[in-house]
Amino acid sequence: MKKTIVVLLLFGFAICAFKEIRGIYFRYPSYWPKPIYNFNKNQLTTEKTFLGRVLFYDPILSKDSNISCASCHSQHTAFSQINHSYSKGINHQIGKRNAPALINLAWNSSFMWDGAVNNLEMQALAPMSNPTEMNETIGHVADKMKHTTIYPKLFYKAFGDSAINGERVLKCITQFMLSLVSCHSKYDSVMEKQAKFTQQEERGYLLFKKNCSSCHKEPLFTNDKFENDGLPINKTLNDVGRMLITHDSANYLQFRVPTLRNIQISYPYMHDGRFSNLVQVLNHYTKGIVRSNSLAKPLLKPILLTNNDKKNLIAFLSTLSDTTFITEKQYSFPVFVN
Amino acid sequence: MMRIVKMIFLIMLLWLIGSETVMAQKVLEFHPSYGKDLVYLADSSYQSNDEDSITITQFRFYISDIELWNDKNKTWEEHNFHLINANEYQTLRISLAIPDDIVYDKIKFKLGIDSLTNVSGAMGGDLDPMKGMYWTWQSGYINVKLEGNSPLCKTRNNAFEFHLGGYHTPFNCLKTVTLPIIKSDNIKLYIDLKKALSSINLKMTNQIMTPSKLAVDISEKIAKAFETRL
Repeated sequence: MKKTIVVLLLFGFAICAFKEIRGIYFRYPSYWPKPIYNFNKNQLTTEKTFLGRVLFYDPILSKDSNISCASCHSQHTAFSQINHSYSKGINHQIGKRNAPALINLAWNSSFMWDGAVNNLEMQALAPMSNPTEMNETIGHVADKMKHTTIYPKLFYKAFGDSAINGERVLKCITQFMLSLVSCHSKYDSVMEKQAKFTQQEERGYLLFKKNCSSCHKEPLFTNDKFENDGLPINKTLNDVGRMLITHDSANYLQFRVPTLRNIQISYPYMHDGRFSNLVQVLNHYTKGIVRSNSLAKPLLKPILLTNNDKKNLIAFLSTLSDTTFITEKQYSFPVFVN
Repeated sequence: MMRIVKMIFLIMLLWLIGSETVMAQKVLEFHPSYGKDLVYLADSSYQSNDEDSITITQFRFYISDIELWNDKNKTWEEHNFHLINANEYQTLRISLAIPDDIVYDKIKFKLGIDSLTNVSGAMGGDLDPMKGMYWTWQSGYINVKLEGNSPLCKTRNNAFEFHLGGYHTPFNCLKTVTLPIIKSDNIKLYIDLKKALSSINLKMTNQIMTPSKLAVDISEKIAKAFETRL
């Protein structure tokens, strides 16, 4: 009898432990650097991450309840929006920059194309308040949520009481965004010696390491910095990038170096989505660089690629696509019983 | 039964009296003013009677790291953030748990939010972004919001709007205020907005919404408008 009880208890503990781990998708390969995000002040739990996921998919965050985060960051394109250079906000308004793919955000030290946001927890405020995106205030969103039947329950489950405030909303959305880790691409399998590149991919990888990896640093494929990638300024937008934030001309036309993970499935490209395919992007780097004082140093020397080189390079870049990431159920539209 | 209730009552009373003598609650009062007028905005905006005919519609600011000093020694400190809002009377009084035996002749505090707090992510209470004192398009707390109208401003509705903040050098807007005070139960601080506004060229400078040199200058002018009337 005693034995049975002990076994049952152990089994129970095992189930509890399993549930806790299963819900939280924050795992990354051992050879990756440590995340930058400070988890101590916002410890991940299944309930908070789930609440964040519900918020991510809920248009309640926008003024007219038409736009959710997922409107411009959809899972099947690695949380970017394909075919749209600029995303649509409420009242059919159009922004100035391309919606970036949301991938491995725990390793970013700043957010937005110009680094305007200094902490992932504050990031959601930017699209929420932008008049051309969601045009809402966090205070009003919290008020609206208090008058629903579902949110007080979800906050109760996550925090032990049903109070809804800005801090809690932001921390939960952050937990969901942190969970968006893409680490199951073919590239990752090759690095972990569970797969091999094809000959073409291998050639592309060598070209990548020679020409691209100083800014798109492995294994996250970004150096987490701002660079001027030599694009001519779009005169209809006059977007000076990082200089908007620092008022320093050294930052003229600098934008965040984006990750290249899932790059093939998250077109169009560049901060303003001006290129619709990777060939156009590579053509820019080989013959479109506009020189200026703030041009990224690695681009001072011309990049030379034959047509064949470009094909090989694109073959390598396609090994960064992560099917697990774009089909993972824990990231998808939350279906739950109210 | 009755005896137990009486006992409990007595113990509670003793406890109350005991704590009262050790930890007196001192009240720090903020009096937004315009010259000699007091500027309370809860029911309506404030309209000045002088030739400047200035209207003030909104005035709120953060106070942090309050300290008491006696000559050259710090005798008391706390590390909290307080949002003071002339539109909400209850925020104009802060209770401070200052032991009775503390001596002091100066009060020192910061006007605004320090840079470490500015990069520390989402926080609650007075620091909750719901309070409307956080920039959304660019991270950072707004240390001071001062809004109103003046005939000098050639803007829509002659409005001026100062949203002052920024935690990065060279546009760090955090200011330290030091004022002489006399020991009493209520510490009264006045913020003379007439002094601040008359030192600003409202014709030229009437809209500040980003960290900038102007934001730093005007933060300094607001900091200098704090005074004790001894």
